[in-house]
Amino acid sequence: MADMSSVPSSPPPDSGRSTPVVEIRDLVRSFGEHRAVDGLSLEVREGESVGLLGPNGAGKTTTLRVLSTVCAPTSGLVRVFGMDPVRDARAIRARIGVVPQEVALYDALTARENLAFFGRLYGIRGGELRARIDRALEQSSLQDRADARVSTYSGGMKRRLNIVAALMHAPRLLFLDEPTVGLDPQSRNHVFELVERLIASGTTLLYTTHQLGEVERLCQRIVILDHGRMLAQGTLAELARGAARVGVRSLRVEASSRIDEAALLLRARGVPFVMEDAAPSLEDIFLTLTGRALRDEG
Amino acid sequence: MRDAWILARKDLALFLRDRTGLLLSLALPIFLATIFGFAMAGMGDSSQRRVKFLVEDLDQSDVSAALVAELEASTSLRVERVQDSRRKVADGDAASALLIPHGFAADFGTDHAVSLKLYRDPGQIVEQQVVMGSLVPALARAFGASMSRELVRRGLAAFDFPVRGRPQAERVLEDAWASIRTLAAEHSTAGDGASSARFDFSKAVPAFFGLESEDVIGSGKAAHRSAMQSHAVSGTAVMMLLFGLAACGATLLQERDDGTLQRLQLSPASGVSILLGKMIYTGIAGIMQLVVLFSYGALVFDIPVLRDPIALAVHSLAVVCAATGLGLLLAIVCRTRKQLEGLSTLVILVMSALGGSWFPLIATPDWFQKLGHFTLNAWAMDGYQAILWYGKGVAGIWIPVVVLMGIGAVTIVIAVAGWRRRFEVGT
Repeated sequence: MADMSSVPSSPPPDSGRSTPVVEIRDLVRSFGEHRAVDGLSLEVREGESVGLLGPNGAGKTTTLRVLSTVCAPTSGLVRVFGMDPVRDARAIRARIGVVPQEVALYDALTARENLAFFGRLYGIRGGELRARIDRALEQSSLQDRADARVSTYSGGMKRRLNIVAALMHAPRLLFLDEPTVGLDPQSRNHVFELVERLIASGTTLLYTTHQLGEVERLCQRIVILDHGRMLAQGTLAELARGAARVGVRSLRVEASSRIDEAALLLRARGVPFVMEDAAPSLEDIFLTLTGRALRDEG
Repeated sequence: MRDAWILARKDLALFLRDRTGLLLSLALPIFLATIFGFAMAGMGDSSQRRVKFLVEDLDQSDVSAALVAELEASTSLRVERVQDSRRKVADGDAASALLIPHGFAADFGTDHAVSLKLYRDPGQIVEQQVVMGSLVPALARAFGASMSRELVRRGLAAFDFPVRGRPQAERVLEDAWASIRTLAAEHSTAGDGASSARFDFSKAVPAFFGLESEDVIGSGKAAHRSAMQSHAVSGTAVMMLLFGLAACGATLLQERDDGTLQRLQLSPASGVSILLGKMIYTGIAGIMQLVVLFSYGALVFDIPVLRDPIALAVHSLAVVCAATGLGLLLAIVCRTRKQLEGLSTLVILVMSALGGSWFPLIATPDWFQKLGHFTLNAWAMDGYQAILWYGKGVAGIWIPVVVLMGIGAVTIVIAVAGWRRRFEVGT
């Protein structure tokens, strides 16, 4: 268990654009000898959409689990809406939404029944509940199949319902853990549009994925993790600018007409090089930072 | 054929790696065969099982003391001297009781002799046979000589030849009785159909000794059938309840596997609420199961479920409480649904066999009955038999109810502790 006793639990501050919704300082979460998160510090401000990128075992899901009160930090300071996830777990849970990696719905219930159940868990009743169910069904484009059992749904329909089930209580902070795994392009696009609407409405987002394109499209800020540590963070442009500092460097040939000549010279000298016309992509940056070796979980 | 063999080898490899499957197909039958073997062996073995027999001696004479001493010497009976023996049999304290009335010795052998009373519970037919098998010889040993002499005296008196006061005639009677005893002893030692002869003898002799039998609950074979049906319905209800509630407990593991448990844990609902919700669901499912099965028993077998509905409801709630606790405990102890399936099948079948869900414990050896009462099935069956057969109310079933509630409380406390350790968030 974390030694959080010296950190006072404060009430949630007023929301403002500059208020940190998530505050992490020197977070360590160990499982036995293994440090899944190792000295992570991070702030997420209200209304921000932040992408957590990292290979398998980087510590993304553990970080989300700590923030969503599922597991306690081993050490370090963690605040969500200014509250301590250990001591104020229930208050935090009432304000956050979590879209789990796997579809977590009751197959034998209909979409409407699932949504009603999750809504009631958050104390929503009566007309308000019905209105929110209708809105969730509309957001997920499932109005026509609202009264069919979830077991009869396609993978994409289940994914959409999985997301809107986490929105029933209109959370101010949403954690999405690889929400598009296994989806076809149309369903993925639908999820992106849904997430974009949430961002536009001011919901704070923490998004984990392996799909770099998703982060580029949806996240204002990107955090790259590996071995439980933060390797880099910033906007895509900032990461690209900072790429040289972390190993990706570019060689600019002033006279563009002599670029082939320069290439010949390098080749003659046996210097390996890559000739590209554009700035490094996020994937280049990611692979450069985290390496190209396969990461098998287990 | 080659393909079939390749497929069969694959299935065999999977089977041998499935520890649950191996447990169910190999270990469980061994367990059950062991239980049945010991139970069945003891059913006909009086050295392993002495039938409780109540004696109420209101006469307190030398004659009645001689009879009681003969009964106490029996290797098949465990004699207990009591008062109010009829009520005790009616309450199910014992299968039968002998009342030796006031004036039995004084009037013995006279025309107005007072009869011995044998109170019987016809639901326990095996016990009745054991009792008669010991009672009749005891009566013969205690009163045989006097009874036969008295009969001869009466016969001779009818021919105007009173024996009393004629020493020679008395001596002839004594010699005749001694010869009969010797003959009977030689017949028994020779083993030529002794047991069947004794059986017939035991049926005929009670009337000869003036023994009056009274079934204090129901009457005769119909009553015995009704008792067996009550037992069958209750036994099945308890066993299937355990299976049903273990399956309800398994939904906890299913929710974990489906990810919905974590979703619940991420809601404002507390961990205890989640577990309590499971308990309420499990309990209601159990009550529904019992209501359906007992209603069926009432309709088809005429089981008297409405004799004392309050007692039946109280006892059923206690049974459901204990079974719910056990079901949840099994679900929390097991790591996977497959493990739970194997363990719950093993535990429930063994408990059902030991606890009398399949056959009445009363027919098993004493040690088996004691062992059986380490299971909740035995206490559940005690209560149901008390209500449905002996017609007891709430006051008459408080011991099984308290034991079952205790089992429920202990298993629920352990289940909650296990839940907190394994499933509670923030750890």
